[in-house]
Parts: sequence; C-alpha cells; structure tokens
Amino acid sequence: MTTYIVRRLLLMIPTLFGITVIVFAISRIAPGDPVSLSMGPGGQMDAERAADVRKARMELYGLDKPVHIQYAKWLGRLARLDFGDSIKHHRPVIELIKERLPITLTLNLLAFVIIYTVSLPLGVLVAVWHKRFFDRASSVVLFMLWSLPVMWVGQMLIGYFCGPTFKNWFPPAGLSGNYADQLPFFPWLADRLWHLVLPVLCLTYTGFAYLTKQVRAGMLDNLQADYVRTARAKGLSNWVVIFRHAFRNSIIPVITIMATLLPAMLGGSVIIEKIFSIPGMGLLAFEAVTTRDYNMVMAVATIGGVLNLFGLLLGDIAYAIADPRISFESAV
Amino acid sequence: MSKHVQGKSNWGTSYGELVWREFAKSRLNKICLVFIVFLFVVAIFAPFLANDKPFVIRIDGQLHFPIFRNLQPSDYCVFLAAIIGYVQLLLIRRNHRHIDPSVRGTALWRQICISSSIIFIGIILIFVFAPRRLDATDYKSMVASGRAADAVFAPIPYGYGRTDLKLREQPPSREHWLGTDDTGSDVLCRLIHGSRISLSVGFVAVGISSVIGIFVGAILGYFGGKVDFVGMRIVEMMMAIPVFFLIITIVAFFPRSLLNIMVIIGITSWTGDARFIRAEFFKLRKQDFVQAALSLGLPLRSILFRHMLPNGIAPVLVNATFGIAGAIFIEAALSFLGFGVAPPTPSWGQMLSLGVVTTGRFLWWLSLFPGLAIFFTVMAYNLVGEGLRDSLDPKLRIQ
Repeated sequence: MTTYIVRRLLLMIPTLFGITVIVFAISRIAPGDPVSLSMGPGGQMDAERAADVRKARMELYGLDKPVHIQYAKWLGRLARLDFGDSIKHHRPVIELIKERLPITLTLNLLAFVIIYTVSLPLGVLVAVWHKRFFDRASSVVLFMLWSLPVMWVGQMLIGYFCGPTFKNWFPPAGLSGNYADQLPFFPWLADRLWHLVLPVLCLTYTGFAYLTKQVRAGMLDNLQADYVRTARAKGLSNWVVIFRHAFRNSIIPVITIMATLLPAMLGGSVIIEKIFSIPGMGLLAFEAVTTRDYNMVMAVATIGGVLNLFGLLLGDIAYAIADPRISFESAV
Repeated sequence: MSKHVQGKSNWGTSYGELVWREFAKSRLNKICLVFIVFLFVVAIFAPFLANDKPFVIRIDGQLHFPIFRNLQPSDYCVFLAAIIGYVQLLLIRRNHRHIDPSVRGTALWRQICISSSIIFIGIILIFVFAPRRLDATDYKSMVASGRAADAVFAPIPYGYGRTDLKLREQPPSREHWLGTDDTGSDVLCRLIHGSRISLSVGFVAVGISSVIGIFVGAILGYFGGKVDFVGMRIVEMMMAIPVFFLIITIVAFFPRSLLNIMVIIGITSWTGDARFIRAEFFKLRKQDFVQAALSLGLPLRSILFRHMLPNGIAPVLVNATFGIAGAIFIEAALSFLGFGVAPPTPSWGQMLSLGVVTTGRFLWWLSLFPGLAIFFTVMAYNLVGEGLRDSLDPKLRIQ
C-alpha cells in the first residue's frame, strides 16, 4: 500500500508541473495586464508621468521581465509556498485565503452533512420500494432537481424571500447582520444560521439528487445479488438483510464520492457565493478574475489543482480500504 | 453501387435501428426529442417569429419587405446551417434504404465532410459578401399615423435590441406576454432570440470536445504503453484544474465573443470522452477484426476511425448528450456572472440576472421565464441522454 501511495505521489509531480505551466500561460497570453487595468482611462495625469508610474508599477510586480524568467521566479516562490501579494488588496495571497477559507468550509460542511443525512436513508428506502409509486415519484423529482440551474434557483429565492416585493423573510446578502459580532453566542449563532438557510439550500439540492441516485443504484445492484438471497433464505429479518448486508456493500461508491468532494468543498461555489454575496473562496476567485489579480488567480487555480489531485488519490485509497477485493498492486 | 441494391429486408436490422426502436419505446424520450426539435425550429426562425419589422408593408403605394431586407449575416449563417443539416438528415434516411450496410459508414462520413465544408465555406462567404443593414425606421408608428398600410407583422412584433424607456420593467400584459426588461425590450422576443446562443453553444462546444476526446482517446488506447502513460498525465492535468474557474478566467481575460465561449467550453471538457474511448480501444485492439485489419496492411487512420471507432462510439454519444446540457448550463452561468456574449445580443443567463434589482425589488418575470427556458432545455437533453444510455445498453435489451 505504501509503495502504491508513494508511486502515485511521485506521478503527481509532473502533473503538478503541467498545471502550473497551463495556469501561468493563461494569465500571460491573455491581452491586457493588471497595471493598465488599474490605471484605466480618465485619469488626470499627463502622459509622461503616467508612463513613469506605469513603469514603476510594472517593476514592482515584476511584470517588466521576460515571461520565462517571471515563470521561474513564480515557481521558485511557489516551492516555498509563497504565493506573492495580491495586486488588488496589497496583502499576501495566503493571508486572504486564510481569511476566506473558514467561511466556505462552514457553508460546505453544513451542506455536506445535510446531503448525506438525507440521501443515504432516502436512497435505501427508494431502492427497497423499487418500482412502487414512491420510487417513481421521487426519481422524477430528483431528476428535476438535478437539472435545475443553480443561478436560477438562487435568484428566485433571493427575489421571493429576501425583498420588499414578496416575502421579506431572509437577509439577501452576507453572513451576518449589523453589529452581529457584539451579540452573545446564541443570538449570534441564530443570526448566522438565519443567513445560511438559503445558500445552504442552493448548495444541497443538486448533490442531494446525485447522491440519492447513486445510493439507489448501488442498493438495487446488491439487493439482487446472490448473497442477499442467501441471507433471506437463512430467515433473517428484512431490515437486517437490508442494513447489515446490502447497505454495507452499496456505500462503497458513496465513500469514493465523499473523497472526491473534498476539493469542491474547499474551493467553494463561485455562482452561489456571488449570488448571496458570501465572502468565501468562490467570491475571492471571482474578484481575482475580474480585477486581473494575477497572483491570486494563479494561487487559486494551483491550489484547486493540487486539491483535486489529492481528492482523486484519496478517492482511490478510500475505495480500496472500503472494498478489500480491490488490490493496490494491480492498479496504476 | 448497383450490385448492392437488393431488397431492404436482406440487410436485416442495423444497430442504429435497434437502438432507435429501444429509444422510441419510451414516450418521455419522444416528448423530449420533439421539444428539442421545437427549440431548434424556434431558434432557426427567430427573426420571423419576433421582429419589430413587418413582413410586408405598403408605403406610398409601393410594397416593401423589411424583414427580409434586414436579415443579418448571422441569420443567413443559421439558415444555411439549418438547410444543410436538414439535407444531411434526409440523406441518412436515404442511405438506410439504398446503401449496403458495409459501405454505409464510409458514405455517411463522406457526406458529413461535404456538408460541413459547405457550411464552413458558406459562412465565410456570407460574412464577406452579405450586406449589413441597419434599418431604424419605426414601421409601427408609420402604420399608426396612416403613412403606411397593409402591414403584416411577426407574431411578436418587437425587436430584441429596441429600447423604449417608457415601457421599462412592465409585468406581463396582453401587449407584452412575458413583460419587458430594464430597457423596455420585450422578454418573449429576447427569449426567442436567446435560444440561438444556448443551442449553438451546446452543439459547437460538444462537437469540439468530442473531436478532441475521440482523437486523444483513440491514440492513447491503441498504442498504450509509453504513449498512454504520457498522454494520461496530460488528461489528468486537465482533469485536476478546476474547470469552471479555468473557463471564467479565460473568458474574463480574452475578448468577449460567442466563438470564444464555445471554443473554451470545448477545449476544457474533452477528458471524459478521451477516457471512455481509451478504455474501449484497450478492449477492442486485441479483437480479431482489428488484427485482421492490421494484417491486411490498412493505414492506421482506417484502423482507428473506420474499424475501431464505430464499435466504441456508444459511450461518447451518451456523454455528448449530457455534455450539451452541461455546455448550455455553463454558458448560462457565464452570462449570469457577466462574462457572456456582449449585450444587446440576448442570452438566457444574462436575462435571468436582471430579475433582482439593486434596490431589492424583484421583477419576477425577468428571472422566471429565462430560468424555465434553461431548465427545460437542460432537462430535455439530460432525459434524452438517459434514454440513449438505456437503449444502448445491451444488458437491458435482453431483459
């Protein structure tokens, strides 16, 4: 097992290198640069001074050097986990990410817990009641949920529940109300949860549909297997057969999904965080893109790539641990 | 070819016919297919369905045909592609009756090559030679003031770029069935014209990603070994980069255009196809018919794409249907975030984003209808994908 993991980790090195090349290339091939964007038209400076300021800024950000030297320097800093300063915020990128990460993590953990607590039992039930009315009805509903575009759902929820036009039940933006930090713990928690209801709802419904479908498919496969028939023939009760025998085997793919979800949980959802103005990782990435904050963009993309790679590895390992029939040696 | 023309019954049932029969068993599948065809008809005939210019109008005793004079180069391109596409569909049916199954694939391939080159050359010619007209005449007020007569307008007599601030933000009414937006344009009209963006993005993006995916997957799966090892690292790299973030980065950094969006979605989403084809080719290359083709000394191109590909294309077809739904969703999300096609060209995602005004007021008709359009389109493609997957699966057919 250790050999396998070491081998996979070694294989990650060229992949990671490739990711940095792609990320860096995109930010440099694109026309325009952050300096001209921040200096914009309509300034009061005369042309000569503007050129001087421009030159100084380019030197400050290291944009005046040839591309391959910029890349080498960036890679060197990357190796020391130094992502540079954000051009927009004038602060280290890592510091900004540290601020935003807990917010996204709270949001996604909450959604994650809800998805799993609802879809595991639901998937089992639906599989047990295969081809009955409840099964058919829930498949239709879940399929519709799966196809619902998240920006539409978010927009309709905000419009309907958070505005003067219809109901004014929930706050439209942010994570906490005014002066929330002066509140005692429980009112603060209530306020926070009140703000989280709609975003979490948006985050859960798609995953919920997907996971229930997976659990249902897994359960159906296992319920038709020979060992389940044997268990039934031994005279075991229905629930013992379902939960002790079939369920245990059908959660294997679900575990894999859990591992691969990890990067998405840390990366956050650009669309949902943008709709609800939640200052998490997704919004940070979005702002970085719109302001051409190169260091931030490259940091977010690289970290995302690394997390995805680890997610894939974790998924494979989890799969092998959960299912002893899968051996590491034949893999790769 | 004449020696192949025998009775149709001698040829038996083709694989395509089997799959189609299985697919058509479900009424839901057929409904979805009809809905998609309906969307395409709406998208193709958009200028005739919603236009502020009349089909016919009599001014000073003389007949004019403003709609036809005002067709843009993009309209001509859509018509050309639609006609060639329709002819291609007819040809496929004709092939079925008149061409022997053993050469049908070759004939189809040749036809598709000819069709797509006609479309390609046609689009270039249209953009070079077609006149660009901008007719700002207000025909409706001419009719109202009695200067013109005998006008026949389109069913929805509004143009999508026309602004009328007196009419802004009106809820649905008898004049504007789905209301008006912040510039006073008719929502239904914009919805109809916006369908062009969504449908074309879905098709072109998936076309690009399938071609790349099939090509890469075929080479990796056929050669295996070192080629496969290096190739898989590249596939892994593309899989690891956060795709949606990559897309918004590229779209935000490069100039806004529909073509850019299509290409970017296409070149970031081919990894699934590549992996499917690779896995299929791994299995296929040891089979007898491939060995036979090899020993006959056929060129690699022929072995890969004429002999192996038709046997391994099924998962890519299913994936492509889901991919279209995904591409439509991504385009809508991009325009929602403000990275879409530049206004005044309407697109569903951008229309959807106008519903919540900064003051907190909710213009529900601006969000509801474009959202429904995206939802139904995405769901129709997803359902067709599910149906296709079930009907391609031989295990299910035996049951």
